[in-house]
Amino acid sequence: MASVSFRNIEKSFGKTKIIHGISFDIQDGEFVVLVGPSGCGKSTLLRMLAGLEEISGGDIAVDDKVVNDLESKDRDIAMVFQSYALYPHMTVRDNMAFSLKLRKADQAVTDERVSKAAKILNLDVLLDRFPRELSGGQRQRVAMGRAIVRDPKVFLFDEPLSNLDAKLRVSMRAEIKALHQRLKTTTVYVTHDQIEAMTLADRIVVMHDGIIEQIGTPLELFDRPGNLFVAQFIGSPSMNVFEGKLRTTGDKPVVDALGVNWPVERVKQGTDGQAVSYGIRPGDISIMESGQGIPAKVIVVEPTGAETELLLEVGGTRIVTVMHGRTDAKPDDIVQLHINANKAHIFEAQTGKRLD
Amino acid sequence: MKRITLKQVTTEAKLLLIGIPVFLWTMIPVYHMILFAISPRDKATSGQLFPKQPTLDNFGVVFEQKHIYLTHFWQQLGNSFVIAFSVAAITLFIATTAAFAISRLKVRGGRTVMNLALCTYFIPAAFLAVPMYKTMSSYGLLNNHWSLILAMVTIASPYCIWVLKQASDKLPFELDEAAKMDGATAMQLFRLVYLPLMVPSLVAVGTYSLLLAWNEYLYAFLLLSKEDTLTLGVALGNFLGADDSPWELLMATGLFYALPPAAIYYTFKRYMVSGLTAGAVKS
Repeated sequence: MASVSFRNIEKSFGKTKIIHGISFDIQDGEFVVLVGPSGCGKSTLLRMLAGLEEISGGDIAVDDKVVNDLESKDRDIAMVFQSYALYPHMTVRDNMAFSLKLRKADQAVTDERVSKAAKILNLDVLLDRFPRELSGGQRQRVAMGRAIVRDPKVFLFDEPLSNLDAKLRVSMRAEIKALHQRLKTTTVYVTHDQIEAMTLADRIVVMHDGIIEQIGTPLELFDRPGNLFVAQFIGSPSMNVFEGKLRTTGDKPVVDALGVNWPVERVKQGTDGQAVSYGIRPGDISIMESGQGIPAKVIVVEPTGAETELLLEVGGTRIVTVMHGRTDAKPDDIVQLHINANKAHIFEAQTGKRLD
Repeated sequence: MKRITLKQVTTEAKLLLIGIPVFLWTMIPVYHMILFAISPRDKATSGQLFPKQPTLDNFGVVFEQKHIYLTHFWQQLGNSFVIAFSVAAITLFIATTAAFAISRLKVRGGRTVMNLALCTYFIPAAFLAVPMYKTMSSYGLLNNHWSLILAMVTIASPYCIWVLKQASDKLPFELDEAAKMDGATAMQLFRLVYLPLMVPSLVAVGTYSLLLAWNEYLYAFLLLSKEDTLTLGVALGNFLGADDSPWELLMATGLFYALPPAAIYYTFKRYMVSGLTAGAVKS
């Protein structure tokens, strides 16, 4: 087990700079998820830690030892690839034992480690099969087994679930989390799926265009996104955002947008008339049984059983709400919306930075 | 019962219309070769579809080397074997290591090597025969098996490198990265991951270079001239040097000469399977 530090990491491919000086630390035993849209540099960052990609600038340290010039095999880091990358000509057993064989480990030790890992991952009965005889989920588990037997300082996962179907993805996600709780090995996990990030991570690093937008626990990012990008990236369905003007002259501040006043609990920064973006999560909007709220026209009702998702229109702009339970609302009905002002987010219109 | 449609009939007919002539075209010379080989000497050119008294005596004469053209038959057959297998082995070694270095290790200048390899195909091998002869003579290799082996390796290698490079480009690169993470050195990667996965292509390329060397006539004729260093292919050509060629012996020897390539082809055919890499990565 180990801690990992990124210090001012830069990466260029030719003249194109794709990572612009990234710094953060990962604690021993922590599960950190790098998340961001494709092309944000998260996989490149992971591959630099793995030693598969040259570092253009800055230092990467594992346990305070700079590993920039160490080869992958000397870094004691194991990686699970998106495509599994199993050796097709070897059985599951040989795939898992390969790294130990290269290290000329004792046969008894190898057997013991392989069978232990196989037991953890329920691969016992598959040990003598070839990768081509396995299903996607099983291959994924073998790839994880190959990493486990090495007992490395750090586990790296590069979008390990994106080749699996939705149902399998959910169950493998739980397996990965259980595995980390059991082994407590420092883990860096790359994904573009924010649900995976939210459910797995101790801390999430949100990346965008080669920089870090925000680092925090899943709920910190959800409750207090530092900027518009994080606000819209984290959470599903994503946050409703519309542009308007801040009004602080009344007894409570509001944002004037889409022809109505949207309530805000308090704003410390920000001046009257300032252009802002108002953000409210779908779950923080509810439909009032009676009384006057913000009027909205119902466009689509999507019941999913426990929850109902509604697509509404306010002032010509579409907004989404998610409510627990069910509703009688039908398309073209006019409903009155209640906004949980406590949960409203205000961002500076120009920079997208959070205003408090 | 399924009804046979007119379309199916015409498709079948079209195939047969092409297939039957091609089959005849290929088999008639072979048939004649067999016919000659089993006919007595004076009946060989009688024009019968099948000899009245078929005989295997011709093969006896060949195997016992009982003819002036056949005094070194076993030696020459051996020469052909030694040369063909040496060429295949050396070409495989060169082409595999080159393809691995260019395709997987991405060494500098790899592209240049590939382009040069392709360039050699603009020059017909026959153009190089005389320069090759000059080169071999200045190294004192004429009449030595090495001259033909080296010449054939030179001719076969560029194509084999090209084919293997294309084939190894298709292996998923994540396998190399996974092996690297697992602690493999470049040599271990080559031996434990690359070679096993390249077996089908190696068999194809090896068979190609083996048959190329086995069937070579021009270079063998130029570089080797002593009776006991000749390959069987050239020795067969020498049969035609006489006014009264022993056709039945030529064909009997020729038939025998054609058997190893056929055997090699059928032995290795089953190794040339695709799909060995199935299951490595999700495609």
